[in-house]
Amino acid sequence: MRLQIVNTLPESDPRAQKAIRTLQGKALECRIVSAYDKKISPCIGCNACWLRTPGICSVKDDYEEILKGYLTYDATVFLAGTALQFVNHRMKNLIDRMLPLATMYIHIPDDQCRHVMRYDRRLQLGLLYAGEADRNYLNQWMDRVMLNFDGVNLGAYPITQAEEVLSCIL
Amino acid sequence: MHLVIISGAARPQPRSNTARIIAAFRQGYEEKGNSAEVWYLSDRRQWQDAKTAFEKNEQILFALPLYVENIPGIMLEFLEQLQPKTIPGTHIAFLLQGGFPEASQSRCCEEYLETLPAQLGCEYAGTLIKGDMFGVSLMGEKTGAKMVAPFAEMGRYFAENGYFDKEKVSSFAAPEYMSDKQIRNFRRFGPVQKLFMNRIAKKLGCKERLDAKPYGTAL
Ligand SMILES: Cc1cc2nc3c(=O)[nH]c(=O)nc-3n(C[C@H](O)[C@H](O)[C@H](O)COP(=O)(O)O)c2cc1C
Repeated sequence: MRLQIVNTLPESDPRAQKAIRTLQGKALECRIVSAYDKKISPCIGCNACWLRTPGICSVKDDYEEILKGYLTYDATVFLAGTALQFVNHRMKNLIDRMLPLATMYIHIPDDQCRHVMRYDRRLQLGLLYAGEADRNYLNQWMDRVMLNFDGVNLGAYPITQAEEVLSCIL
Repeated sequence: MHLVIISGAARPQPRSNTARIIAAFRQGYEEKGNSAEVWYLSDRRQWQDAKTAFEKNEQILFALPLYVENIPGIMLEFLEQLQPKTIPGTHIAFLLQGGFPEASQSRCCEEYLETLPAQLGCEYAGTLIKGDMFGVSLMGEKTGAKMVAPFAEMGRYFAENGYFDKEKVSSFAAPEYMSDKQIRNFRRFGPVQKLFMNRIAKKLGCKERLDAKPYGTAL
């Protein structure tokens, strides 16, 4: 399995280092993106990725390689800090910026409206969080996120349980 | 009563649906002699004033667009910088609006918003939910105004009660889910909707198909 690891914690954080070693031991190939030192801006809600330049974000920073990685790796695992019992804004910005993967078109595959996805590739995302947070809620939120992007939630786990996040990979 | 309204939208004020909704809500809120001030987090130069307003006032309303099932990253960054209050008495309410039509789409975020005020040393004063707001700034002045008009009534309601009651919110936010008939209709008009979106995109100068795959057609 080819894995993209997006680390939003400082590279020197021993919890991140340990989790990365664990994940590396389980994957055939790993790409590690140290997002902490990169320029990744918040989504500005301009809708360009839907209506002007479909699939391409108008914000030109270091995010695009991560966006492409969702599609070219079998799975992506985020290492995230927390705040206010949720993921912190660094992590949330990564998720908000996923919008180019969806099209503007809407369908109702089950009982709710969803965007039609731009690519056929099924996304698999997992979350390892460092700090205090409500794990059940994070899982529920990730479920909803993946429902929106028609992908698979590999689960939200405390960063000390890194091996768990790959246990249900497809 | 004086209300501090903080917009958590990332889009700049002139193009933000949240901003237009706030304007309608504020009009209703101020009708009977109440006052309000508004800060926009899309403009980082306003963050310091917004923080001071949060510290000095006891009635706070965060208005925000739903961003991937939760608070926009930019608003989260602002919240992380607030010092929790140590003196009780501050109430925080939320006005949460999203693009999809069903209220059910906002419930995951609402669940989180319910927990936030306590973490900031404040009391929770409810969350007003409304979907189907994507088109407010896209559909032209007249249609946009019509879409946000009902928020004036909710402004009046909030002025009287200082709280968004769950039942009242649910009837304002309805439908929770679309009915079978609505879903059938939606599906029937799918192709028309696509044409409509294509037309909007063309007007905005889009030269590609809306379902283009710039990172590879094989993906
Ligand atoms: C990054 C991003 C994520 C969004 N996520 C959702 C969502 O999960 N559910 C939803 O109903 N609408 C979603 N929307 C739509 C916005 O909430 C909606 O268009 C809103 O009216 C925008 O308000 P604004 O113009 O003030 O930014 C999203 C929009 C963006 C840009």
